[in-house]
This record gives sequence, structure tokens and C-alpha cells, in this order.
Amino acid sequence: MNSNIFQDNINQLALLAAVIIFFLTVFVAGKYIKQMKTDKSTGELADENWDGIGEYKNELPSGWAYTFLGTMIWGLWYWTMGYPVDAYSQIGEYNEEVAAHTAMFESKWADADDQTLQEMGEGIFLVQCAPCHGIAGDGMGGKAADLTVWGSAAGVLATIQNGSKGLGYPMGEMPAGMLSGDAAKKVAEYVANGMKGEMPAEFGVCAGCHGMDGKGMGGMAPDLTKYGSPAFVADVLERGKKGYIGKMVSFKGRLTPIQEKAVGAYILSLSRSE
Amino acid sequence: MQNAGLEYDYTVSKWFAYLAIIFGIVGMSIGTYIAFELAFPGMNEWFGQYGTFSRLRPIHTNVVAFGFTLSGIWAAMYYIAQRTLKVSLKENSFVHGLAKAHFWLYLLLAALMVTTELMGITTSKEYAEMEWPLDVLTVVVWVLFGMAMFGMIGMRREKTLYISMWYFIAFFLGVAMLYLFNNMEVPTYFVTGMGKWYHSVSMYSGTNDALVQWWYGHNAVAFVFTVPIVAMIYYYLPKESGQPVFSYKLSLLSFWGLMFVYLWAGGHHLIYSTVPDWMQTMGSVFSVILILPSWGSAINMLLTMKGEWNQLKESPLIKFMVLASTFYMLSTLEGPIQAIKSVNALAHFTDWIPGHVHDGTLGWVGFMVIAAILHMAPRYFKREIYSRKLMEMQFWLQTTGIVLYFSSMWIAGITQGMMWRAVDQYGNLAYSFIDTVTVLHPYYTIRAIGGLLYVTGLFMWAYNFYKTMQSDKVLEKEPAFASPMGA
Amino acid sequence: MFHWLEQRPFFFSVGVFLVIAFAGLIEIVPDFAQASRPVAGTQPYTLLQLAGRHVYIKDSCNACHSQLIRPFKSETDRYGPYSLSGEYAYDRPFLWGSKRTGPDLHRVGEYRTTDWHENHMWEPTSVVPGSIMPAYKHMFTQNADLETAYAEALTVKKVFNVPYDQPGFTKLGSWEEAKKQALEDAKKIAADMKNKDVKEAVERGEIPEIVALIAYLNSLR
Ligand code: HEC
Ligand code: HEC
Ligand code: HEC
Ligand code: HEM
Ligand code: HEM
Ligand SMILES: [Ca+2]
Ligand SMILES: [Ca+2]
Ligand SMILES: [Cu+2]
Repeated sequence: MNSNIFQDNINQLALLAAVIIFFLTVFVAGKYIKQMKTDKSTGELADENWDGIGEYKNELPSGWAYTFLGTMIWGLWYWTMGYPVDAYSQIGEYNEEVAAHTAMFESKWADADDQTLQEMGEGIFLVQCAPCHGIAGDGMGGKAADLTVWGSAAGVLATIQNGSKGLGYPMGEMPAGMLSGDAAKKVAEYVANGMKGEMPAEFGVCAGCHGMDGKGMGGMAPDLTKYGSPAFVADVLERGKKGYIGKMVSFKGRLTPIQEKAVGAYILSLSRSE
Repeated sequence: MQNAGLEYDYTVSKWFAYLAIIFGIVGMSIGTYIAFELAFPGMNEWFGQYGTFSRLRPIHTNVVAFGFTLSGIWAAMYYIAQRTLKVSLKENSFVHGLAKAHFWLYLLLAALMVTTELMGITTSKEYAEMEWPLDVLTVVVWVLFGMAMFGMIGMRREKTLYISMWYFIAFFLGVAMLYLFNNMEVPTYFVTGMGKWYHSVSMYSGTNDALVQWWYGHNAVAFVFTVPIVAMIYYYLPKESGQPVFSYKLSLLSFWGLMFVYLWAGGHHLIYSTVPDWMQTMGSVFSVILILPSWGSAINMLLTMKGEWNQLKESPLIKFMVLASTFYMLSTLEGPIQAIKSVNALAHFTDWIPGHVHDGTLGWVGFMVIAAILHMAPRYFKREIYSRKLMEMQFWLQTTGIVLYFSSMWIAGITQGMMWRAVDQYGNLAYSFIDTVTVLHPYYTIRAIGGLLYVTGLFMWAYNFYKTMQSDKVLEKEPAFASPMGA
Repeated sequence: MFHWLEQRPFFFSVGVFLVIAFAGLIEIVPDFAQASRPVAGTQPYTLLQLAGRHVYIKDSCNACHSQLIRPFKSETDRYGPYSLSGEYAYDRPFLWGSKRTGPDLHRVGEYRTTDWHENHMWEPTSVVPGSIMPAYKHMFTQNADLETAYAEALTVKKVFNVPYDQPGFTKLGSWEEAKKQALEDAKKIAADMKNKDVKEAVERGEIPEIVALIAYLNSLR
């Protein structure tokens, strides 16, 4: 996952910096400490003497003096010519970084296959979603939605039992316990299978809000024909959701469409894998 | 040049030395405690709201910087000034009175500082957390210090100021200027007649506030952790070793170079922030230039010891000071390199910064204060230092502590910085924030152990000092150079 | 020349002072007016938010949290758009921090909510396993200091012309009005919370620190 860590030029520079700091200090200090062993102190003493402390009139160590002069010249140059000529701006640098990345990302992954999307989605999930949903996506004991069942019949069943709120549809909240027992199960199977096949009679209860065709009556409630699809996940991510741990706020603008699709593919792989 | 007939008065110097020992132990024990909290967060609950990392962290920084370090500096200043200016505080009871008032008001200030910060009364600005009433008291303390110091300078018999005095004067002026401007705040009670009387609001807002704060913050480091500590090494190393300072010219250029360059470098705390690009660049450029005047003093001191390998081998005091110079070189190379934009992009906000901080504070500031006070002890008490062995042990223990501290924080910081930036093969972020927290556990533990070793060394220091005081063997004569020590 | 200075402490001090004062001016003065201009849409803090900000400062959250999103893709992906100078125009003091032991909070209001903060501040590991952030249970029982917050708001309004009460800007009003408004704001937040003591306190007309703090955190966007 982090094979690219050493290709990032900031990372390279930082590592180089650490090495330089350490070795240059050890080398230069070591050199002088060695002189404590090998050299003798000499020089002409100044007239003054403070509390027994004398002072030699020795010349500047030339390496030090030239380097000092050198850095001053460099600083002056950089400050008056090097830097303004370069016309640098940190926001410009940022814009370039983002533009380059976006172009690369979109062309490379526009038609990614499902397998690729799932893998990409796993990465996104572990960073963006796992803090609430847990690394396994199980919702960490009810703190957030259990995504290992979400999108399957068991997920619909849970919604029927517990109701649903927070997506912000005009219909408002879906009350808990509208159906139970076999009826609930049947409806759950039906919805989870994409509303194909014979419609159970009990679905009438749902139709009051979601419409007979389950399409949500023109945006009044969620479109159940999409339940369990990446598109539905994308819808959730744009709207946010409310639950025990606190609200899951909208990811609008924080994930790109490709990323939303990818994370959707990954989530569905969680409940559909068996 | 004998100081015949002049008997120095070390009363105030001694008081400050006691305080430095106490504040050192208190401040660094708190530092070790908060270091353990990061490794074992359950400890945050041990003392209710008064024991959380966030309440204690500013207390740590304040007690070590303004308790331990300043006390150590003043213990040294009241000692060095008398000796290099050839005056005695005994000669002038007014100046002596100022010095004593300086000490007692400072003690009051320090006590109030700790109490108020424990209560959560803070302005949040790093190294300037105190609210305005304490700022006022700080100004009073500072003026007393200045009057006492310039009083001694006024009385001097030695016409030319020794290098240490240059740095002490700069210390006084620099801190005075910085402190005043960064603490410009409006007490809200006086404007409205409501709310807490001690509350104030900053005169500057947002980016401007940041700018003034880091102009201050950077130079607070310069004028508390660097300038007066350089003053100390210029006295104690030549004095303890009996060697003349290597080069006057090098002292001179390093001093004026440091004075000129330091103040421009504050922008390196604001790289990639919302202050203008040119100012950030200025900070970076001057930081790099700053390596040289900083290294100048360190090299001058190392060259002073040329040919004195025996002393390095024999005397733990010399060891402390030579290693202090080396750590000074390390942190004044590290800082400038961290000030380079691309390096700061990674290092800023990470543990590499506390790593850099403690290279300087533990290795340079801490060792110099420790060495200075041990050098003065035989002169204070006319007794030999109780134990060389103990000092030797202290040295190695604390050196190990520092190495553990900075190596763990370098690794932690660079790891953290890389993980924040890392992307997976698709170009999406590779780690959630909490991943970058939990990986640090081993490094936080190692750092805390390093702190524990360092604090253990402080207790040895205190014990050695105490036993020196208690010894009944009186020295005939004050030692001219090398401090006498028992086995 | 230097030797001459070294024998004259007065001129020596003047010299040192000039050398060190010079740089400060160049560093600070040129951009001073520019940097304090607010970005359009930036609002002064409401009384409750300001009281929350004081809680944030009192417990030094800035010891671990930054409020400065740098212009790197890795940061804007994680935290949202990079920070602009004008967004801080009403921040006295600034709270950028210098260490990220925890994540940046400059836009935390965009992706965390009242109920999440309530759980998190009470016991961070209950929502983020492995968190090393301290629990701040004392904030659920101690009350925020509205009066000092009001004194500060009024001070900045009077002394620094912060546009409270101007058309289109945050309303402050008299102490009575401001207090009433703060209590209303607090009720909205308490409604999203579950802690009984907090809810009862707000009913009684008190404002626990946690409520003010959450109002502040929610305002960070
Ligand atoms: C702040 C915590 C948080 C984060 C971060 C988070 N979620 Fe959620 N999520 C929740 C909560 C709370 C619920 C609702 C739980 C419930 O219904 O009990 C939820 C529900 C869901 C649902 C079910 C929606 C439904 O309609 O039932 C999906 C799908 C989902 N999240 C996907 C994601 C994805 C994908 C991400 C990351 C890109 C993510 N979540 C990030 C807290 C979070
Ligand atoms: C009173 C109107 C109403 C009725 C009746 C109703 N729903 Fe819903 N349903 C909603 C609303 C509103 C939402 C969106 C709620 C939200 O904000 O999360 C929703 C959401 C859902 C979801 C998506 C939950 C998720 O995971 O995000 C499913 C699945 C669902 N309903 C199935 C059903 C079924 C099956 C029935 C019949 C047993 C039913 N609904 C009856 C109003 C209703
Ligand atoms: C010892 C360091 C520390 C202190 C002090 C601290 N935090 Fe945190 N904070 C963390 C860490 C580590 C995290 C990330 C793990 C987590 O979410 O708990 C965090 C996360 C957060 C988050 C969630 C942000 C996000 O993006 O998920 C908020 C909000 C927060 N802290 C607020 C505060 C407030 C308010 C205070 C002060 C009262 C505070 N913190 C004090 C370390 C700290
Ligand atoms: C040439 C000299 C130095 C330079 C150029 C320098 C530079 C820096 C830089 C770039 C930072 C990091 C800012 C950030 O990204 O957050 C920093 C932080 C710091 N340095 Fe240095 N440094 C120098 C010497 C020292 C010394 C000798 C000490 C102490 C003895 C010291 C103490 C500190 C402290 C305490 C901080 C932390 C400030 C904060 O709270 O953020 N520095 N320094
Ligand atoms: C036993 C010795 C010490 C230990 C264990 C210790 C520990 C710590 C810890 C854990 C922090 C917080 C870092 C963070 O937020 O991640 C810290 C910060 C700091 N300490 Fe120490 N400390 C010690 C000694 C000292 C000394 C002697 C000084 C100064 C003379 C000092 C000055 C500072 C400063 C300035 C900071 C703030 C750094 C910043 O903001 O970047 N410490 N210390
Ligand atoms: Ca102050
Ligand atoms: Ca800091
Ligand atoms: Cu600095």
C-alpha cells in the first residue's frame, strides 16, 4: 500500500535532512573533539583577563568564515533575485498538484472494472469510513450501520424493524416496526432482489411512501429499486445519515464520483460475498 | 589581575540555584508524566481535570523555560557579573536589595503562574500563556533584574565587558522588547465592567496574531534558550578548564551575527500558513544563514578545549559542557534544515519538532545549567563537590535519556509525517488519522523512558549538591580553575 | 569600534537594541492591514460559540490540535479546503496550534456532529478505539462563563470595530438579549444530546461547558 512512500520528493528530502543533520553534526563536532586529543592550544593572548579567563587573538577558522560569507551571499541572491524571479506561490503550487492528480486519476480509473473498484473502495473505506463503521464494516457493535448486512435482505429487515432516519427526504423519517414476522421477511427478500418477481401483498405498506414501483414517488422517499447498489450508497454519502454514534454527515465534495462508486462497490462486496 | 580584597556575595545567586534545582525536578517530572500520558492515555484521569495532558503541557513548558532555565540563568548572571566586572553585591546595599527583590517577586510570579495555569487561566499563546495581571508582574520582575544588572555594570572596576556580559545584556533587551509586543492585550473588564477581571483579549487577530506570536515565540527561544546559555558557556568552560577563549574575533562575529540574523527567522514557524510567501521565504533563508553564527560560538568553545583531552576524560563537568556544545550544534543545524520549505512540509505539526526542541533544551540548556550549578557549588560553600562518580553516572544516564528522546521522536515524527501524506496505488489517502496515532505508541513509550532517565539524573544532581553543602571538609582556598571533587 | 562599544555599556545596549528591533519591523509591519481583512461570509462568533472557544482555550485543546489546513492535496483530502487568512479575521487569539497530536479541527464542523462530539468528549475511545485523547467529563458538569464571553464580545465590538449588530452580521445586543439568545442556541444543541445532567441544566437555564464547546466546534467549517 505504501510502496510509493519513497517516491514522494518531500519524503525523500526529509529523510535526507535527518541524515545530514545527524552526520554533519557528528562529523564537525567529532573533528574538533579529536583536536582535543591531537592539537595544542596556541596563540597570542589579549591584554584583558576576566576573573582569570584569558582570550587568544586567533584568526577565524577559515572554513567557518567562508561558509558564513557564502550563506550571506546566497541569502542576498536568493532574496533579491532567486526568489522573485522564480515567482513562486504556494497556492499556485497546490493548484498544479491537484490538477495533475485529478487529470491522472480520472483518465486512469474512469472505466475501472468492478474488481479494481472494490480494491480501491477498500482503501477509501479503511481511511474514511472505518473510523465509524469499524475495520470490518460491522458497525462496531451498533455504533454505526452494520455494513456487512446492509444492502442484503437482512439489511432491509433491520430497516423495517428499526425504521430509518437522517437521509433528509421530504417524507421525513421512516417509522419502526411497520411489518413483522414472515411478512417482513418476504418484503425484505423482494426489495433486496431488486423488486423483481412477484410483489408480496404486504408491500402495499411500503408503497405509501416509496410508491408501488418502489421508486420513491419522484424523490419523496428513497428509490428502493436502487437499494443495495453503488448508486444508493452514493446517495447516502451525499445526504448523510443519523445513528447511535452521531450523525454521519454528507461526504458531498469530499469524495469524487469515482471514489463514491468504488466505496459503494466495496460495501456491497461485504454483504454479498457469501 | 588578582581580585584582592573583593569578597563576592553569592546569596542571590545561591537562591536562584536552589530554585533551578527545584523547578528542574518539578518541570521535568511533569514532562515525563505527560510523555507517559501519550503512551498510556488512561493516566489522563488520575488527577481529574488537573491532570489531563492538555492542562499539564503548558505547565511543563512554562516551568522548564521560565522556572528552571531562567533560575539557572540568573544564578549564573549574579555570579558571573560580580566576578567578571569585579564588583561585589556587598558593596552596594541598594543594588543588592534590587537583586533580592528580583528573586522574591520572581518566586511569587512563578507560583502564581503555575497556580493560574492549573486552573485553566491561559491566553493560549505558546510561551506567553500568562494573563495580563501576571504580565504586569513580569514587567516588574524584569525591570528589577535590569536595574540590578546595570547597577553592577555601573559599579564595575573592569572597564571592558566580558563576552558573557554582552550576551546577558542582549538577553535583557531582547526579552523585554519581545514580551511587551506579544502581550499587547485589552483587559475586557476595564472596557465593559463585566466578567472576570483578569480576562483579556489580544490586540491582534488571526494571521497578524500568528505573526506577532511567532516573531515572539522564535525569539523567546533565541533569547531564553540560546543567548544567556551562550553567556554561561563562555564563562564556565574556560573557567573550569583554565583555558583562554580560542578567538576574540570569532566571539565578536558570532555575537553580532547572532543578534542580527536571529530576529528575521521567526517566519519558519509559519511555513505554508496564511502569511505571505515572501515572509515565509525570509524565515527560511535567514534560518539557514543562522547556522553559522550559532556554530561560531560552539566551535569557539570546542577549540578552547584544544589539546585538553585529559580534562575531557577526567572531569564530568567538562564532559557536560563539551556535549552541551555538541547538542547546541545539532539543534542549530536541525532547526535551519527543518526551516527549509520542503522539509517543513513534512516536519511541521509532527513529533520531529518536539524532538528538535528537546535536543536543544535537554542537551544544551539542561546540561549547561547542571554544569554551571555544580561548578559554583564548591565556590558557594567552600567545599569540594561531594562525588565525581555520581556526576559521572548522572552524565551517562542523562545522555542515554536524551538519545532515547530524540531518536524516538525523529522516527515518530518522520513516520507520522509520511503517513499523513501517503497515498495508495490509486492515489487516495492511505491511512486514517487514528492509524497515524496508534503506530506511535512504542516511540511515545521510549521517549517517556528517556525522560525518566533524565529526571533520575536530576535527582542525583540535587543529591550531589545537597551533600556538597553538608560536607564538613572546608576548602582552604577558593579553587582557581578545575572544581575539586570527591571520589 | 567594537572594543570601544565593549567599554561603554550604554552605547553597546543601544547598538544591540537597534540591531534586533530592525528585523521585527520588516517582518511584521508591511502586511499588517492586509492580513486582517475578513473573507466574505466570515461571521464574528456568537456569544455561545465564543464561550465555547474559551473552554477550548482553557483546556488547551490547541496543545494537540491545529486549526490550519495547509495547501497540500493530502491535507485538503483529509480535512477540506485549505485555510484562508481572512477566515481568521475575528480570531483573537489565533488558534493555529503547532502540533498535531490529534487531527486538524479547522473544518471539523463539516464532518462531525453534536451527538458525535458528546460521545467523543465523554469518552474518546468509545467512538474511536485506540484514541489517546483525554476524556473531558468535567465539561459536562461545569458551567461556561457567558459573562466573560460577553465582556470580550463587547470589547472587540467597541475597541476593534468588530461588526457585531451590523446588518448581515452576528447579533450581540444587550447582555440580557445576548444571554437569552445563547440559551436558545444551547437548547438546540442540548436537544441533540443524551446526557441527562446536561439536558436538565439547560432546562434550568444553565449552560454546561460541553454545550458551549460543541457550539464552537460546530461553527468550525
Ligand atoms: C461519523 C461517523 C461515520 C463515518 C465517517 C461514516 N459513516 Fe456511514 N454511517 C454512520 C452512521 C451513524 C450511520 C447510520 C447508522 C444506523 O442507521 O444505525 C451510517 C450509515 C451508513 C450506511 C447505511 C445507510 C443507510 O441508508 O442505511 C452506509 C451505506 C454508510 N454509512 C456508508 C459509509 C461510507 C461508504 C463511509 C465512508 C466514505 C461512511 N459511511 C462513513 C456513521 C459514519
Ligand atoms: C412513512 C413513509 C414510509 C413507509 C411507509 C416506508 N418507508 Fe421506507 N423509507 C421512508 C423514508 C422517508 C426513508 C428515508 C429515511 C432516511 O432518512 O433514512 C426510507 C428508507 C427506506 C430504506 C433505505 C434504508 C437505508 O438503509 O438507507 C429502505 C430499504 C426502505 N425504506 C424500505 C421500506 C420498506 C420495505 C417499507 C415497507 C415495509 C417501507 N420502507 C415503508 C419512508 C417510508
Ligand atoms: C493528548 C492529545 C489531545 C488533546 C489534549 C485533545 N485531543 Fe482531540 N484528539 C486527539 C487525537 C489523538 C484524536 C484522534 C482520535 C480521535 O478521534 O479520538 C482527536 C480527535 C478529536 C476530534 C475529532 C476530529 C476528527 O476529525 O475526527 C475532535 C473534535 C477533538 N479531538 C476535539 C478536542 C477538544 C475540543 C479538545 C480539548 C478540550 C481536545 N480534542 C483535546 C488528541 C487530543
Ligand atoms: C539556528 C537555530 C535554530 C533554528 C533556525 C530553528 C528552527 C526551528 C524550526 C524550523 C522549528 C519548527 C517550527 C515548526 O515547524 O513548527 C523550530 C521549533 C522550535 N525550536 Fe528551533 N531552531 C533553532 C534552534 C533552536 C534551539 C537552540 C532551541 C532550544 C534550545 C530551539 C527550540 C525550539 C522550540 C522550543 C521549538 C518549538 C516551537 C513551537 O512551540 O512550535 N530551537 N525551530
Ligand atoms: C525529562 C525531561 C523532559 C521530558 C520527558 C519532556 C517531555 C515533553 C513532552 C512530552 C512534551 C510535549 C510534546 C508534544 O506535545 O508532543 C514537551 C514539550 C516541550 N518541552 Fe519538554 N520535556 C522535558 C524537558 C524539557 C526541558 C528541560 C525543557 C526546556 C528547558 C523543555 C521544553 C519543552 C518545550 C519548549 C516544549 C514544547 C515543544 C513544542 O511545542 O513543540 N522540556 N516536553
Ligand atoms: Ca500574556
Ligand atoms: Ca509548540
Ligand atoms: Cu524558531
